[in-house]
Amino acid sequence: MKRYLVTIDASEYTIDIDYRSETYHVTVNGKEYNCEVSKLGESRSLMLLNNLSYEVDVHSSGYESRRVAFMRGMEIPADVEDYNLAQMRKAAGVKIGEKIEKVLKALMPGLVLKVHVNPGDSVVKGQPLFVVEAMKMENVIKAQSDAVIKAVHIKAGVSIEKGDKLLEIA
Amino acid sequence: MGEVMNRKIKKILIANRGEIAVRVMRACRDLGIRSVAVFSDCDRGAYHVRMADEAYHIGPSPASQSYLVHDKLIDVAKRSGADAIHPGYGFVAENAVFAERCAKEGIIFIGPTAKAIGLLGDKLAARACAIEAGLPVVPGATIDGASAEEALAIATKVGFPVLVKAAAGGGGKGMRVVRSADMLEESLKTAASEAKSAFGDGRVYLEKYLERPRHIEIQILCDMHGNGIHLGERECSIQRRHQKVIEESPSPVMTPELRERMGMASVNIAKRAGYVGAGTCEFMVDQDLSFYFLEVNTRLQVEHPVTEMVTGVDLVKEQIAIAEGEPLRYRQDDIKLSGHAIECRIYAEDPEQGFAPSTGTLKHFRIPAGPGVRVDAGVVIFADIPIYYDPMIAKMIVWGHDRTEAIARTKRALEEFRVFGLKTTIGFHRVVMDNATFVKGDLSTRFLEEEYPDNKYTVLDTDTREHAAIVVALDTFMKERHIAVSAKNDGTNDGAVATLTPWVAFHRRGGLRTFQGSGS
Repeated sequence: MKRYLVTIDASEYTIDIDYRSETYHVTVNGKEYNCEVSKLGESRSLMLLNNLSYEVDVHSSGYESRRVAFMRGMEIPADVEDYNLAQMRKAAGVKIGEKIEKVLKALMPGLVLKVHVNPGDSVVKGQPLFVVEAMKMENVIKAQSDAVIKAVHIKAGVSIEKGDKLLEIA
Repeated sequence: MGEVMNRKIKKILIANRGEIAVRVMRACRDLGIRSVAVFSDCDRGAYHVRMADEAYHIGPSPASQSYLVHDKLIDVAKRSGADAIHPGYGFVAENAVFAERCAKEGIIFIGPTAKAIGLLGDKLAARACAIEAGLPVVPGATIDGASAEEALAIATKVGFPVLVKAAAGGGGKGMRVVRSADMLEESLKTAASEAKSAFGDGRVYLEKYLERPRHIEIQILCDMHGNGIHLGERECSIQRRHQKVIEESPSPVMTPELRERMGMASVNIAKRAGYVGAGTCEFMVDQDLSFYFLEVNTRLQVEHPVTEMVTGVDLVKEQIAIAEGEPLRYRQDDIKLSGHAIECRIYAEDPEQGFAPSTGTLKHFRIPAGPGVRVDAGVVIFADIPIYYDPMIAKMIVWGHDRTEAIARTKRALEEFRVFGLKTTIGFHRVVMDNATFVKGDLSTRFLEEEYPDNKYTVLDTDTREHAAIVVALDTFMKERHIAVSAKNDGTNDGAVATLTPWVAFHRRGGLRTFQGSGS
């Protein structure tokens, strides 16, 4: 048996899963479900939750505990954690996904149009860092948190590829 | 109208890509006309290339080096023996220079003449043309050195609230809404000084401010023989970044009488401009249903299928017939609107990140079907979505006997539509279809900012949320079990993954380090 803590929109679900003879026995906040799962592809499955049919695609997104579930036409962000780890995290006063990226990498290829910061600059959360053109659109990349810029690896007019290091914060 | 050259088209070059290229090719197939595709480097295996009878490579991926290069398009037309070019929308569609070039080269441009494109493409000339044709325009005037009394007289005539903006520029600089007479003088002064510093020109333009305007447009068809008809309206009020995302026909506020007035106005401006082909006359409609001319789009619109669904007219086929010099096969009386159609534009975008583009590979792409559903897609499964072009991957158009049925079918089809591998606007559309204001038909171009001020489009009922929680937990359980099982089968690890203590795992993923470093 395995216990998870799943958080969606600040609602918490304590979920126990037990695998017995091709069926997953699931208890959610005390409520029971019998579930069947058929793998359909790399990240796609057909799940029957008490015979309710869901074709789903679940993939990781952003930080470690974050998943995005695509089901019934909706994309639903959720956090899934080992229940005991979640308790330790809470005891340590850490919020989900609080780990802040020190190195900002390009999520997609594009062209740098403007760079607003220099090494040594202090920025506040939400402050524009630079502007990238991708898919005919200008995208303003903003600071995720208050930080000090350690290094800037880009300048205006430069093309970037997915995964390129763009900025580092101290 | 001059003499009309009647010429049967046998082969059409489609100077476009994606869903609209595919759409035009389908009309070609229906008519027994051969189709010629052009493609850039990254579109080598694209859907529109697969759909065409012939295909020609025209250069590197950036549109400025391929789809926009007139010489290359004309060259392919000549090499392939195409007698006509269909521009689709975007790229060379509203380019008077290209239309003129086609005429010079003896190739039929499927669209209006260069002269009409030029006239209607110029905002001031188009506004003047609209006024001459008797169309209402948003009332306003340039205020240049007028006294406070004169300015007040103008504003009172226009009616409060009014919008005060720099006459010279755009981009919202020096723009402000003035709601009452006592605020006018002050606002004009500030606007003039802002305009002066931003554009070096202190002239200020004052116009009526529409609080919650609707965007409603009229589809028109005009032939070379002086006949023109309208095919009803499309309501396109739901927009993000001034770009439409959901369109429908008829508009929930339309009356037969208003349709007739707006339709006649649209045909009038088209005739005055010497317009030929399919076109769209765009209007802003105030909450009291007064309408004001915005502009004429001299091409086929993205959202043309909603009109096709309610009128039964194939607009691309009509464009081709008109270009061949045929007289319109429909008279105004033949156009009867039946039922209700809604179009959802499926973009490769993340709505919750302010509709930022999302690139990647389509791991799974399954199109919905069933009664009333039409999907015009520009991609197929395993396609890479390139960064160079518009991120719209498909349009889903759904027809119902009335608006209620159209909404119900749209919901059903959105839930059937499976796109995995990148973020799309499918979930966003699904949420909007349940929005009470949308369902009432109480629309305006400010709909999204009013209804979803923080860009949050996931609205979950309790059951679905609980089921989603189970889904992600099950998915995680299966992956962990798979790792544990493979480790055991490996014989080396002896199930070590399964026996990691939580503390070790906590350290491994850097949880405590995160805590210490999270003060930044």
